[in-house]
Amino acid sequence: MARVVIFGSLRAFTGGEGEMEIEAATTRELLKKLAARHPALAETIEAGVSLAIDGEVFKEAWFTPIGPEAEVVVMPLMVGG
Amino acid sequence: MRYVVAKDCPEAVALLNANNGARLLAGGTDLLVQLKQGAAKPNILIDIKKIDGFGNIAAEEGGFRIGATVSGAEIGAHIALKAAWPGVVEAVELIGSTQVQGRATMVGNLCNGSPAADSVPAMLAAGAVARVEGPGGARDVPVADLLKGPGRTALGSAELVSSVLLPKRGARAGDAYLRFIPRTEMDIAVASAGVNLELDAGGVVVAARVALGAVAPTAILVPEAAAALVGSRLEASALDACATACEAASNPIDDKRGTAEFRTRIAGVMATRAAKTAYTRAGGSL
Amino acid sequence: MKQDFKVLGTRPIRPDGLDKVTGKAMFGADKSVTGMLHARVLRSPHAHAEIVSIDTSKAEALAGVKAVITGDDFEDVDNRWTRYTMQNCMAQGRALYDGHAVAAVAAVSKKVAAEALALIEVTYKPLPHVTDVDEAMAPDAPVLHEGVKGRNLGDDVSGNTVGYYSFGHGDPETGFAEADEVIERTFKTAAVHQGYIEPQACLADLGADGRGELWCCTQGHYEVRRICAEILHMDASQLRVTASEIGGGFGGKTTVFIEPVALKLSQKAGRPVKLVMSREEVFRATGPTMSASMDVKIGMAKDGRITGAHARLRYQGGAFPYQMVMLGAMSAFAAYDLEHVQAEGWDVMTNRPKMISYRAPGAPMAVYAVESVVDELCQKLGLDPLDVRIMNAAREGSKSSYGPTFKAIGLVEALEAAKAHPHYSAPLAPNTGRGVSCGFWFNFGGQVSVSMAINADGTVNLIEGNPDIGGSRASISMMAAEALGIEFDRVRTIVGDTASVGFSDVTDGSRVTFAVGIATINAAKAAIKEMCKRAAMIWEIDEESVEWIDGAAHAVGHNAGTLPPMTLAEIAATSGKTGGPIAGHHEGAPDKAGVSFGVHLVDVEVDPETGFTAIKRYTAFQDVGKAIHPAYVEGQIQGGAVQGIGWALNEEYIYGEDGRLQNPGFLDYRIPVASDLPMIEPVIIEVPNPGHPYGVRGCGETAIVPPLAAVSNGVARAIGARLYALPMSPPKILKAL
Repeated sequence: MARVVIFGSLRAFTGGEGEMEIEAATTRELLKKLAARHPALAETIEAGVSLAIDGEVFKEAWFTPIGPEAEVVVMPLMVGG
Repeated sequence: MRYVVAKDCPEAVALLNANNGARLLAGGTDLLVQLKQGAAKPNILIDIKKIDGFGNIAAEEGGFRIGATVSGAEIGAHIALKAAWPGVVEAVELIGSTQVQGRATMVGNLCNGSPAADSVPAMLAAGAVARVEGPGGARDVPVADLLKGPGRTALGSAELVSSVLLPKRGARAGDAYLRFIPRTEMDIAVASAGVNLELDAGGVVVAARVALGAVAPTAILVPEAAAALVGSRLEASALDACATACEAASNPIDDKRGTAEFRTRIAGVMATRAAKTAYTRAGGSL
Repeated sequence: MKQDFKVLGTRPIRPDGLDKVTGKAMFGADKSVTGMLHARVLRSPHAHAEIVSIDTSKAEALAGVKAVITGDDFEDVDNRWTRYTMQNCMAQGRALYDGHAVAAVAAVSKKVAAEALALIEVTYKPLPHVTDVDEAMAPDAPVLHEGVKGRNLGDDVSGNTVGYYSFGHGDPETGFAEADEVIERTFKTAAVHQGYIEPQACLADLGADGRGELWCCTQGHYEVRRICAEILHMDASQLRVTASEIGGGFGGKTTVFIEPVALKLSQKAGRPVKLVMSREEVFRATGPTMSASMDVKIGMAKDGRITGAHARLRYQGGAFPYQMVMLGAMSAFAAYDLEHVQAEGWDVMTNRPKMISYRAPGAPMAVYAVESVVDELCQKLGLDPLDVRIMNAAREGSKSSYGPTFKAIGLVEALEAAKAHPHYSAPLAPNTGRGVSCGFWFNFGGQVSVSMAINADGTVNLIEGNPDIGGSRASISMMAAEALGIEFDRVRTIVGDTASVGFSDVTDGSRVTFAVGIATINAAKAAIKEMCKRAAMIWEIDEESVEWIDGAAHAVGHNAGTLPPMTLAEIAATSGKTGGPIAGHHEGAPDKAGVSFGVHLVDVEVDPETGFTAIKRYTAFQDVGKAIHPAYVEGQIQGGAVQGIGWALNEEYIYGEDGRLQNPGFLDYRIPVASDLPMIEPVIIEVPNPGHPYGVRGCGETAIVPPLAAVSNGVARAIGARLYALPMSPPKILKAL
């Protein structure tokens, strides 16, 4: 099961839960399960998020594989200059 | 808008006299910007660049007469003028960029009436005299008497300045101009000072003129600051007194370019630093 | 990962150089067509006002005027972010800042257009305004838009507060309790503009048949197409957008300000319309970056170990909702490996032009505040500022303050290079202080399309979809040459229009060399596969028995040595007879861009009588992963440093009590001029990014992050007093002395 870390201010939408375990093979599956578990997060996920999987940051990539021991950090979508 | 090339000074004066809302075009480095911005809407532009003599730097009674359309670049390239009045020349050379120097004129800088004009404090310190031409003929007016306020001069609506005379230099004399800007070039003085000194054989200041820019509605002469230097060899006490007099004479505004408090302090610093340069140029050793 | 390069790391002459130095290059304002009209925009003189009415009848009656538009000419759009962009281009109902567009005219000449503007009569009803971030956040502030307050915010902040973010781990209070010294300070930074030399300009032609052509200077023509197609209710396919050469962007050209207006005028007039902003319009109505108000608290043990850190960042982003403080909160402590850290951020609206990205958006001010407090702690505890940073530095395996655990990063390498550099041990002149700061940027990946054609004469054409703002045509040609095994000058890369190559994200986030580079390498792989196949056919051997080595097909396996290698040029020459043109293309969305750290050293001299600062020496160290074209990389590092120096010393948006911008021009908005600066010495550090075949991280943004604190720390050490606000203009420094 992947360890999912929700960053500080998003915890307002998870009832304060900062870390959880989710069984998912891809980022899409993970985000679907996350949104189902925490409906208040669904809006943020729908608006777009970035994910750091074992330290590598991915943007909107549904089919990125997630290893069974992976750490996934959920962050807002990043834009640059 | 009409554009007329005046062939001589009487024609330029007559055109000025006949047209309300006329503007003279010499270097045009301020006027053209104002036209583009819509800040100036003259009904006639009178080009004075073709008038005989307006483009000359002529020796006169030991001094130099600088015509109304002489550019900064020409002034900077004039070896004898630069040797006699290095402070005035360095002030003129600070106007605008290298490109602007090819066009911008010292007389235009004066007639704009900007309190921050670089050449004006230097001219005040030098005791420069403007030749004013008008419907009644020519008259000579000290530059100090031409300055009236931001954007305003004592010129009548049909008058123009045809030239400025920098007087004859004494031996052991020197001048300097210094301005403060937050950068190193391409800027407008936050405060500035022109200083003109004459020394005796022993290095004692026997005559001084100190002028400040950007700290009052016009560039100003500060006789008290000059008096503080006379009789000294620019000892610290004399310089302190000069700076104090400059601060006392300053009456600047707070604006985006600097606070009144800052401008006041800087005016004294610029004056004492310019004084030291002028002193060295006059042959004194600090 | 590939390590031995033939093309990468060399410094070929830039392919756009001749056009640019001879004036041949076509920028936004350089294109004209037959029948073209000239447009001008009327702008609000009020910081906040209801637009009671706009009477355009006199302007429309003026001879030579072909179209006049106002906000009423734009239909609503579904996407709220696009609606904000549209209403930023042309006000609807209310003018929200000084300079906000309220009407526009297209006429046969610029002169007629200007005359027509003066004939438009707008009746305004001024409304209360707010331009300061702390005032705008106060619960009683006038609110710009109702219903957009961040949904995780309470009654203690106003409705202008559109977002709240928090990052970190551990408990800062626990960390402060362990500290020997705790310092908390409040900082302010001014809004600054990117200062690109080329004002926004475009030429729009939207015909009665619904087909549109748009030429504009932009960092992302696909993004321009998306926004404009939504606003004009067009199909994306019907709007072809071509990116001109660009005279600087730095993030400021990642959105639109005039293009929808020009298209709408063209549609209404039935003629092409050219719209060019003046410098004053650029300052008043395009996006500067955010101003900021920040509190930073850091605890340090006597030995220099940082025990706890907390930042509160309040960013002012102008007249519409936006999301940017997040990147500041994520960047603030990125350089440190901390047990107890939290960074919070609030995005706030005000009556100012809507902010847009500026080089590492959000990071420079946050890092300025953090690096200032770290420096003050070093002074207080008598510690070397580089030693302290090395002790606390994030490295591979560190859990970053914003969440992810770092892969290979080059911060320690950059810090050690700074420590060993002669600059750090050089003696200091009187009134001079040496400042140090770290900096950080994420670097992005994102969507990209590349199309590569192998020509029959053995040369290569490459089309990509990202405007070249920092040398990408050179670096992409170099990566193509490296991948194909041919010489650099055999490759020519162009930026295609939106109809000639697939979608590409905006040129931002230092992503192009990374992302387009990956697509280029993959496109080359596809072409190589085809070339190997052609060689196999000619040789009458199995495709699997052919390998591509140094620009030629080689027979391998049992055929090895029996056949002479067949070069790219040889294969290309017969391509017409072996199956037709050879090409490769790649479309993708590469991730795994590597984060980049920089360390800057600066010697600042302060005139004690005037407060004038002079930058005497400047050295910038940056981990770029792999420098493809080192001269361009050095230019990026130097340019970023210079923009950061300007931010630190003299640049600022100055607003009066009336909410009007007082300095909309380069005379009083003081970017550094060349004579203000010493040669900035760039030192390239290469710790390869494991996420890119050649190790590229991206290099365009990191360098603007450290200068703010580096210069401020230098000033603090030069004068023995510290300033807590930028810019450190001479009046402020003299006051502190």
